[in-house]
Amino acid sequence: MTTTIYETEDLAAIRSQTRRFVEEKVVGRGDAWEQAGEVPQHLIEEMGKIGFFGLRAPEEFGGIGMGALASVVFAEELGRGTYGGFTATAIVHTDLAMPYLLNYGSHEQKRRWLPDMLTGEIFTAIGVTEPDHGSDVAGIRTTATRDGDGYRLNGSKLYITNGGIANLLFIAAKTNTDVKPSRGITIFAVPSDTEGFSASRKLDKMGWRSSNTAELSFDDAWIPAENVIGELDKGFYSIMNNFQNERLVLGAAALGEAQKAIELTVDFVRNRKAFGTTLWDKQAVRQRLAMRSGEVDAARHLVYHSGWLMEQGQDAVKEVSMVKAVVGELVNRVMYDCVQFHGGMGYLTESAIERMYRDARIHSIGGGATEVMLEEIAKRM
Amino acid sequence: MRVLVCVKRVPAPGARIALTPDRQEIDTKNLGFATSPHEECAVEEAVQLVSDHGGSSTVLTMGARESEEQLRYAVSVGIDAAVLIPTDGSDLDPQATARGLVAGITVLEERDGRFDVILFGNESADSGGYQVGVRVARSLGRPIVSGIKDIELADDELIAKREIPSGFEVYRLELPAVLAVREGLNLPRYPTLPGRLKSRKAEVASVDVVPEVGGQHKVSFESPPEQESQTVKLGEGVDAVPAIVEVLETLGIK
Repeated sequence: MTTTIYETEDLAAIRSQTRRFVEEKVVGRGDAWEQAGEVPQHLIEEMGKIGFFGLRAPEEFGGIGMGALASVVFAEELGRGTYGGFTATAIVHTDLAMPYLLNYGSHEQKRRWLPDMLTGEIFTAIGVTEPDHGSDVAGIRTTATRDGDGYRLNGSKLYITNGGIANLLFIAAKTNTDVKPSRGITIFAVPSDTEGFSASRKLDKMGWRSSNTAELSFDDAWIPAENVIGELDKGFYSIMNNFQNERLVLGAAALGEAQKAIELTVDFVRNRKAFGTTLWDKQAVRQRLAMRSGEVDAARHLVYHSGWLMEQGQDAVKEVSMVKAVVGELVNRVMYDCVQFHGGMGYLTESAIERMYRDARIHSIGGGATEVMLEEIAKRM
Repeated sequence: MRVLVCVKRVPAPGARIALTPDRQEIDTKNLGFATSPHEECAVEEAVQLVSDHGGSSTVLTMGARESEEQLRYAVSVGIDAAVLIPTDGSDLDPQATARGLVAGITVLEERDGRFDVILFGNESADSGGYQVGVRVARSLGRPIVSGIKDIELADDELIAKREIPSGFEVYRLELPAVLAVREGLNLPRYPTLPGRLKSRKAEVASVDVVPEVGGQHKVSFESPPEQESQTVKLGEGVDAVPAIVEVLETLGIK
């Protein structure tokens, strides 16, 4: 694996710390989590103790206040753990949900929730997607109507990662239906014990099986006005903005998965004998792996460069969309070849590569489908 | 309370050790380095003692500049200050090491006050001489007990336990005292990320001491013969059962 010019000593320290954790606590250990459909609480607490949840949080709340590249390194290394569901569980908390509080929450809200979010005591999810609206955020139908000192939420959310295990959920709801859809959405912090809220159904999935994915429903759920995150009616813009971090980090996770799959496959074909030699001795096999390895390295530079642009405060929508489209597709090509070269073994559920193949499929769909990403790029060409 | 831990940079335990062609040094080209496991426990104990009883902790080592890595690791898990006695990195015998450490400790104590507790690992993971802690304690005129697996601090004395086959020997030591501890004393913590990043910026103080050479001279290193393992085919299918039973019985598995 090549490192990029963006790898500072601090980032290298985060990488080695994450890699050690992943190798000691994740690789080869998640089969029971896949069965249970969720990551055990003690593992989340251990991650909190080490400080993995505070990469982006300011020091005054117990974090280390680093930028997007820290998240990239973290997600890439988690991706090497071979359990996509574990990676998803962690990065939804750190990079899909927490940024709403970090970027738009008031100081008082941060003081109230952030320290416990860093230990993992408060675990989070983000609820934007609905049964009929995924990437098309403006079309959401969940509503929040003013009632006394708060709002009543009604509606439902679908495909919500961590939905059934989170105790604080950031939920997008329409607060104004009289204006253009993009001008009437607000983000609410919803504690899971709110009356009228329920995580109603655990969804059974093709991959990411150790991550909890739920359907959420809101039936007159009352949320105090102090739980509004950011400005009223401006939620659409914070969602669009946070999408950039989300897509970058999902791309980084996919990158780590692709890299690890190639490493596992190179090890496998070097030992697998067929027709008197190893599979590695076949040019067709090793050249394909060499090409995929080159593509993964090329993608890594795009991912890190995009993270760097974001850290510089530059507009990186085009680059981040490229990350999501390119890596989301690439990881699937890599997994296809890696399963192919594992032969029958790659088709057995006992092999890591079979799981990684299933886990990778979501990368061209979740967090912005490839087709939507390509339109974002095309608009800027 | 002031606690000092002395550590040594050693080849990562379990690594394959290669020698230089003249067999005078270990070939470090492809070697990973770590703190001796006993000393990792000593570091953890120092952090716990200070967190329970207040005061400050210091980590000290003698070695090449690269030893800063082990000092920073100790800082990353909570040690307050790091001190290096720089050497050219060549192997020192236990006498010279002890003399160097005593000189360094004396400088630190004259500057900031006496260390109430000094912790060593029972023996280093590489040379395993079992001597440095004892020699340092003796030179400083302080009591030492080695092989320690449990430490308690009560008023002005240390209660230290050493594991023996039939139980524990319990020692009471007046402060200041020196202990050489063993792995199993505690479970060393993982460094936290903030700790890890902070330790990179931590200042490593330097005490310049040139110790007199000791009386031990190295002739050369020898690599132990490689342990050979053999694969024996016991048979195939059901026919192999009697042979498997025999092997299990020989191993005492019933």
